[in-house]
Amino acid sequence: MTGQPATSRGGWTGLQVSSNGAAANGVTTELISILDTIDVPIVVVRRDRTMAAFNQAAADALGLSLPDIGRTLRDISVLARVPRLEQYCAEVITGGVESRIDFRDGEAWFVVRISPYARGGDETAGTVLTFTDLTAFRAAIDEAIYERECTKAILNTVADPLVVVGADQRVQSGNRSFYTMFGVSPDPTEPTSVYELGNGALDSAPVRTQLQAAVATLRLENLREVLADTHAFQPVEVDQVVTAKGERTLIVDSRPLSFPGHSERRALVRFQDITARKQAEAAKDLRSEEELRRSEAFLAEGQRLSSTGSFSWKVATDEITWSEQLYRIYEVEIGVPVTLDAIRARVHPEDLTLLESMFEQAREGTNDLEWQYRLLMPDRSITYLHAVAHATRDQDGQLEYIAAVQDVTGRRMSEEALATARSKLTNVARVTSLGVLTASIAHEVNQPLSGIITNAGTCLRMLDANPPNLEGARETARRTIRDGMRASDVVTRLRALFSRDEYRLESLDLNEVTREVIALTLSDLQRNRVVLQSELAKDLPAITGDRVQLQQVILNLLRNASDAMVDVDERPRQLLVRTEREDVDRVRVSVRDAGVGVAPQNVDKLLDAFYTTKPDGMGIGLSISRSIIERHHGRLWAEGNDGPGATFSFSIPSGPASVPDAALR
Amino acid sequence: MTGNRSLVSIVDDDESVRESLPDLLRQFGFAAEAFPSAEAFLASDVVSETGCLLLDIAMPGMSGPDLQQELTRHRQKIPIVFITGLGDTESVRPRLLARGAVECLVKPFSEAALLDAVRTALRRPHSGPVTAT
Repeated sequence: MTGQPATSRGGWTGLQVSSNGAAANGVTTELISILDTIDVPIVVVRRDRTMAAFNQAAADALGLSLPDIGRTLRDISVLARVPRLEQYCAEVITGGVESRIDFRDGEAWFVVRISPYARGGDETAGTVLTFTDLTAFRAAIDEAIYERECTKAILNTVADPLVVVGADQRVQSGNRSFYTMFGVSPDPTEPTSVYELGNGALDSAPVRTQLQAAVATLRLENLREVLADTHAFQPVEVDQVVTAKGERTLIVDSRPLSFPGHSERRALVRFQDITARKQAEAAKDLRSEEELRRSEAFLAEGQRLSSTGSFSWKVATDEITWSEQLYRIYEVEIGVPVTLDAIRARVHPEDLTLLESMFEQAREGTNDLEWQYRLLMPDRSITYLHAVAHATRDQDGQLEYIAAVQDVTGRRMSEEALATARSKLTNVARVTSLGVLTASIAHEVNQPLSGIITNAGTCLRMLDANPPNLEGARETARRTIRDGMRASDVVTRLRALFSRDEYRLESLDLNEVTREVIALTLSDLQRNRVVLQSELAKDLPAITGDRVQLQQVILNLLRNASDAMVDVDERPRQLLVRTEREDVDRVRVSVRDAGVGVAPQNVDKLLDAFYTTKPDGMGIGLSISRSIIERHHGRLWAEGNDGPGATFSFSIPSGPASVPDAALR
Repeated sequence: MTGNRSLVSIVDDDESVRESLPDLLRQFGFAAEAFPSAEAFLASDVVSETGCLLLDIAMPGMSGPDLQQELTRHRQKIPIVFITGLGDTESVRPRLLARGAVECLVKPFSEAALLDAVRTALRRPHSGPVTAT
């Protein structure tokens, strides 16, 4: 190591001692110096198995020293440990062929090379042992082995199958998961082709492309191709791969794998089992499909229940989509393509102008549109529609309207029916309230008219007699005039009723007014087996009012009372009409019946228009009565009796001019 | 006078009818007598002499149709001409005619209509069968 012979710790004396003396001393010294610089222990052994010499490296590495020279190998402890060294040396000397022995000394590993050497003639003089230190090399190999085992252990814990395939696309080495999954075992003599794996499922064009790209010899010219073919290294999804775990869906991902100094191309193929994920996705798809279906069903049902359809209209292309309900509303077969002309054909001719103006507004991009129109159906019936449209932009930024169309026919019909019913009711109210009165008044008018005609006829006949019965004629003429006046009276009252201008305010005795009404209705009451009783106060002050109107009110109360007792059979149908003073300045008229009565909770409603306890009644009379009484500054009310039935009363102020003329207009 | 039913009886609660009708009928040569109510007529002694009964429909107490039924019950087949001031007779008229009434006159009626009805009534055999439904 030092390179200085003077300080050599090698043992060369054994050689110097040998024959041939000092002849070559200069050279020998130079050679020894060179040998000492070699960092490989060298030991020279004679035929007799004694050590002849050693260099400095041998002294350093094997611990040889000068006294060891001349000793046999078995006596030098370090050399004695080299297995069968003496035997090998003998064989080398005999055979003249070099031999090697692995030798481990403590932590150090050596390869001992045993080579024959000759001196002078042909006879082999002995052997030269060179000790190559393999310790570092062995450590490196051990390290590599260790690393490999670690990698193997790690790879074996990876769930994804991994395999290295050769250029022939046959399996070279795989992890445990690979062998388990595909049910193959490592077979170096007859490696399995990748395309046989999974019952041939991997034998597909995409997998072949990918694998071939991965193992292709990378040359500059095809490197470009491979890199350009970007999808070559794209993972490929393969399903229905038959494995030990059944049919699986795998993602196959091949990557080129190269080792420095190895020309053969390999590919590392990774299989990713996505079966569970796919199933979960499929289940999720199924779920969302189900949810979609359900919400569509909700929508359809909602549209059906609310008679509301919807449509979308792409203005630029006039592409129109209808919901099923809208097809039903238009009575068009579901699925038939919708065109603007088809819509125009169904829209009521009178609403076409409106429709065109809506189209116009829509094309101008009006944000929100709302309109009502009608359809003329094939059976000539009319459907009323209420549409609301909202402008949106589709994915391409094109104007599109989303609209809801409600069939409001039912609502319109009932509105119209209600309006008709209202006007009918108003009419009925007038006719009924007047009808009740005029039926009685007609009787009153017809009586005197009948008298007039009869008397006039009689009068003529008396005058025509021979001799003329002048006295009789005079009498009948007088009766004619009287009956005429009577009829005129009734007519005047009728006119007062029909025409407010002919209104007559007069000072009235309510007793008299009441008596007249009783006289008018008596026959009706009797027909209904009503027992009428009247208690008219003697000291009743006069009131100011309209006779006919007040009579109408009393008439109404009497008829109501009579009607209320129609079904009363178990007790007398008693009706009491009473007039009396109320306080000092009011007069009250009350009509008490023994009928079905009025429940306390309904008392207030009684006077409302349209409320009635009568099955065929309309309750209008009372509301008119109330307004008449209120115009007389009075009030009308109802109350249940202690016994059966109810009492209807009104009271109005007494005295002159208690009602200003204007109030009655 | 029994057996000679030429008398025209009038039952009406309206005084002007009671005053005028008998005079007119007498001018035509009929014997006539008026009563203010059905009860008064039944109580009178002319029921059996009456060959024609001019009968108001709506009256206090016993009505015209009530009297008609009452007479039928007593086997008094007096031909009846109803007279009424009520406008709406369409509903009662067929019923009254079905029960045997000769006619139903609505006030005011003409002399001709009255005479036609009275003469028809008087010609009708008062003891003959009464069609009933």
